[in-house]
Amino acid sequence: MKHFIYLIIGIVLTALFFVFACSDGFNIYEQMYFSQGFNDKMFNLNVYPVIAALTILVSWGGAATYYYAINSVKFDRWYHWLAVLGAVAVLAPVICYIYNDTVFSTHGVMYVGESIQFEMQTVLFAAALFVIASFSMRWWSSNCRHTPIPQ
Amino acid sequence: MRLFLFAIGGTGSRVLKSLLMLSAAGVRPLDENGKPVKDLEIVPVIIDPHKANEDLKRTEALLNDYRDIRRKLYGNDPNADGFFANRIVTLREIMSNSSVTLGDTFIFNLGAVENAKFREFIGYDTMNEANQALTSLLFANYQLENKMNIGFVGSPNIGSVALNEIKDSNEFKAFSNIFRQGDRIFFISSIFGGTGASGFPIMVKNIRQAANLEGIENRDALSRAPIGGLTVLPYFTLEGNKQDQRIATSDFIVKTQSALYYYKNTLTGANDSNVNSIYYLGDQVRSKPYLYDPGEHGQRNNAHLIELIGALAPLDFIGKPENKLSDPDGYPLPTTAYEYALDKDDLSLNFLSLGHHTRRLIYEPMSKFHLLFLFLTTGFKNMIGQGFTEDVPKIKSDFLTSQFYRTLVDQFLLGYAQWLTEMNDNMRSVALFKPGEIDMAHAIEGVGVRKRLLGHYKVDNDVFKAEMNKLSKNNPSYSERTVEFKLMDLFNKAAHNIFTERYENIN
Repeated sequence: MKHFIYLIIGIVLTALFFVFACSDGFNIYEQMYFSQGFNDKMFNLNVYPVIAALTILVSWGGAATYYYAINSVKFDRWYHWLAVLGAVAVLAPVICYIYNDTVFSTHGVMYVGESIQFEMQTVLFAAALFVIASFSMRWWSSNCRHTPIPQ
Repeated sequence: MRLFLFAIGGTGSRVLKSLLMLSAAGVRPLDENGKPVKDLEIVPVIIDPHKANEDLKRTEALLNDYRDIRRKLYGNDPNADGFFANRIVTLREIMSNSSVTLGDTFIFNLGAVENAKFREFIGYDTMNEANQALTSLLFANYQLENKMNIGFVGSPNIGSVALNEIKDSNEFKAFSNIFRQGDRIFFISSIFGGTGASGFPIMVKNIRQAANLEGIENRDALSRAPIGGLTVLPYFTLEGNKQDQRIATSDFIVKTQSALYYYKNTLTGANDSNVNSIYYLGDQVRSKPYLYDPGEHGQRNNAHLIELIGALAPLDFIGKPENKLSDPDGYPLPTTAYEYALDKDDLSLNFLSLGHHTRRLIYEPMSKFHLLFLFLTTGFKNMIGQGFTEDVPKIKSDFLTSQFYRTLVDQFLLGYAQWLTEMNDNMRSVALFKPGEIDMAHAIEGVGVRKRLLGHYKVDNDVFKAEMNKLSKNNPSYSERTVEFKLMDLFNKAAHNIFTERYENIN
């Protein structure tokens, strides 16, 4: 039961992230980084929901991969988990940047410097979401349920 | 049911050690339906005046370790499944309040016998001349001068006099007080030495004639008790002192013949019901020579196949149905004799050399126990803090310094490794497991791992860890148990699954 509560809490937190990532009032991305023309384009081109979804996908996907696909006694130490977190924290901003860049290119705009600075926050969000995902889903893993911190 | 198991002399101790190893592996006596015998308690009593005997000391130490380990695992529950399943207790442990005082030990106290020379014991110096002359005819001078704390040095004629004291001992009284209808008695002894050859018939006589003894309770139950015995025929040779001929290999056969005649007339004849089941075991292929030692230097003989097979005899006896041992009125039936044959007459034996019945009984438990030995000595330490060790109850790093773990790993498993090595080095060589092999996939001699689509199955510590993780996950059954039980039970179950799935089936 306790474990399902953790899962629900994780899903709720992730959903809140998505909501605040797409919001035009309190937008979590704009709270962290704001550059007038760049953020306007991001909002108007509907990039926020997609990169938020991509960040969630990479983070939860990374956690799921670690806990249920890798799920190996050879990789059940905290530093193995940290390595996956590192990979997620690199992969998520790279994917988001590629998407971002593709959308901007399609619309003939260039915000390379801003995009790079913007994606730095994706590093943080991806890492945070990976932690949330880990603590939501690890309980059912046969070999890694006690990683990174024992239950 | 209780089995009172009297292990007499050096062979008795060594067979008992093998029984301990089988019991540690989880080999349990099976009834006629193939189900483990319920509510069983084994009460070993070692009868040997030679207290400095190394074989006795090693067995006693292992018995104490076994008892400590089992108590930690299952408490006083006689019904357990897994490693250390058979409950082994001392007489003292199962005694109710009684006027008899006993030490909490597996060794029969033969104080009056141990501390005297044989001539003092029989009062030779106080005999008249005629009796002294008769005594000198019956006993050689070295026998009269024998200090019995080194045993009876292969002289059953000394033993048959000295061990008659047993019936007056506190241990015998305690045993007779505890014995109840439904309990059984088993003797382990050799027939070609001194202590065992003489102790077995004397003990049987005293039990069957309990009605005539003073201060003995449960006389009727004792005189009707189902009694079994393992009589070990010559299987080893001695090397060393050519001058001292008190014990000579060349005498073994003659002594055996004489004793067998005696047994036939008094114990195991066709219409005799003193002993219900007698198991004869010997080997014409003799062991590697043991160092000649009548007792002064401790007598330490290597473990041997005969002792391992011999240890199956009491288990077989326990599983016998009541109607095979007693008539409908509860009186013991005449003797049935049993022998044992190998499936293959090899000089180096593995599980495939044993008959189907034995294989079915010991192959899986012993293999699992050997895997446990490898697991605990090569992989377990590094697993603490991960996986199943972190499930409730948690196995923390201080577990490695606990009394239980040290007794199990540093003492019992060390004794197990020694026992295996000794059997392996002996003749016939018992090579059930490859000596020094820590690769679990190749540790069982003659048995490999199964093939799968690509190559063979893997078996290593990681495979065990993964299986134990799986079995431990969300498993509430351990939350009320001790960490010791959790570790051993998890391993036992994991080993069963892995064994069934990954190793070749030779049963």
